[in-house]
Amino acid sequence: MLELKPPLVLLSGPAGFGEYLKLIDHRYVGGIILKTVTLNPKEGNSTPRMADGDFYVINRIGLENPGIHEFVENVPELPVPMIASLGGDSFEEYLEVARTFKKVSDKFCAVEFNFSCPNVKEGGLSIIKDRKRWKTLIVEIRKILPDSFLIAKIGIEGIFVEEAAEIVVDTGWNGITLVNTVRGLHFEKGSMILGGLSGPLLKPIALRAVYEVKRRFPKLLVIASGGVYSMKDAKEFLNVGADVIGVGSALFKDPGIVEEIGKYLMEVKG
Amino acid sequence: MERFCLTKKKTIRVNENTWIVFFEEQLDFSPGQFIMLETPKLVRKPFVLGYWEENLAVSIQVKGKGTKWIVEEAKKIKGHGPLGNGFRRDGKGLLIISPTCLTMARAFEKKMNVDILVGSKSPVLFPLGYETVVGDENFLKKLSDLPEYDWYLVSGSRGMEEVCWEHLKGEEVYFSLEEYMGCGIGACKSCAVFTKNGVKHVCADGPIFRGDELCWS
Ligand SMILES: Cc1cc2nc3c(=O)[nH]c(=O)nc-3n(C[C@H](O)[C@H](O)[C@H](O)COP(=O)(O)O)c2cc1C
Ligand code: FES
Repeated sequence: MLELKPPLVLLSGPAGFGEYLKLIDHRYVGGIILKTVTLNPKEGNSTPRMADGDFYVINRIGLENPGIHEFVENVPELPVPMIASLGGDSFEEYLEVARTFKKVSDKFCAVEFNFSCPNVKEGGLSIIKDRKRWKTLIVEIRKILPDSFLIAKIGIEGIFVEEAAEIVVDTGWNGITLVNTVRGLHFEKGSMILGGLSGPLLKPIALRAVYEVKRRFPKLLVIASGGVYSMKDAKEFLNVGADVIGVGSALFKDPGIVEEIGKYLMEVKG
Repeated sequence: MERFCLTKKKTIRVNENTWIVFFEEQLDFSPGQFIMLETPKLVRKPFVLGYWEENLAVSIQVKGKGTKWIVEEAKKIKGHGPLGNGFRRDGKGLLIISPTCLTMARAFEKKMNVDILVGSKSPVLFPLGYETVVGDENFLKKLSDLPEYDWYLVSGSRGMEEVCWEHLKGEEVYFSLEEYMGCGIGACKSCAVFTKNGVKHVCADGPIFRGDELCWS
């Protein structure tokens, strides 16, 4: 099992490659899921790339990242356990990324595969549309990384979370992160921003996803992702069975929230 | 970089929608650096650091709920910083700014040999102590007969940046850029700027960039 103390992670994307650790007391951070890395470097989308509404943040970063080769040459040295996040633009790319990552896999306590980014044309969301092929893909990834703690990050589009969880369990993966951002549309000064929605508006959706998966697969490790902005939010996710609480866009509001939730989790989870 | 809580001391109105907000505390920073301040909005917002009447101060253009809250209601404001890279240049420079960057001008004056030119869209409500031109036409007229400086730094709206770049072709011109920021510390990649040397980030690589490094469309 993945032991994170406290069971709190900074989520992929908002957490970057560890920059927030300069602002947060490390004792309250159980782990960090680094920004998703793909086979080739990506420049990301044009600007504006992000906006916030009353109850949500919307982003269309487009997975800007240095690419897996640069990543494995310069794995960050961070004072907390690291989880890598890997993505791909096609079936083959996921496998290539997994193979390249293998060289440094012992530096990470787990690896999350992003099967749900809404902001790239291929890969991301589209890879799970074909169930059989997706299942084959994750079987192949398991073969490449037989000893890693493998986590699948899933959204609510393209698949039912319980269906995804079943495949994850059947293929011998160890965990699931629920949920990734949901496709949304925001108007900014009259222009449309089409991006992934996170923040408080995502919480009821993420709570339901965790609930549905956990009651069917109690042994599968579930990382909650969606709208954790307070201790009360963390409590609700624990109530529906989340094993690890993920904090994402709340970092943009107040990095101090992490310490508050971390302290609370230490009290209730030891 | 650290987390802090600033206490608002007072505000003064500069023009139709711009205010100077004074704080009781002091912070160590270099000219050009900024802080992220929390508001009732979900994401902290960046403000360039500066002084007014020897106080730590930021100039704020009221654009929406968050900025309105800082100007009208806030007493204590959580934030973090200072962020970004400070700017340092020898020789004599000209700072061309909108009222939203007034307090930053004070920080530059303390450390560098600069003249200040303010371009305001609407009339200013008190003498700023700097040469001030009001309205787009007057601003353009002023730009066409600027004296020679070793360098220029522009900080204002996108429109202001574009006309300055047009008028100052061939000169050493810097721009303090604005882009939507999520984190302010290089983590989220929301504040991208496309330069001739690839993607950079306003918060971590800037906020000040040389004009000839930027891709102007
Ligand atoms: C700016 C930004 C960038 C993101 N980038 C990634 C990413 O690279 N990989 C990923 O798996 N999720 C990414 N996400 C999704 C978050 O990890 C998280 O699942 C989502 O924001 C929901 O959590 P929250 O409501 O706590 O923010 C990103 C989210 C934001 C706001
Ligand atoms: S604001 Fe997050 S990278 Fe610049």
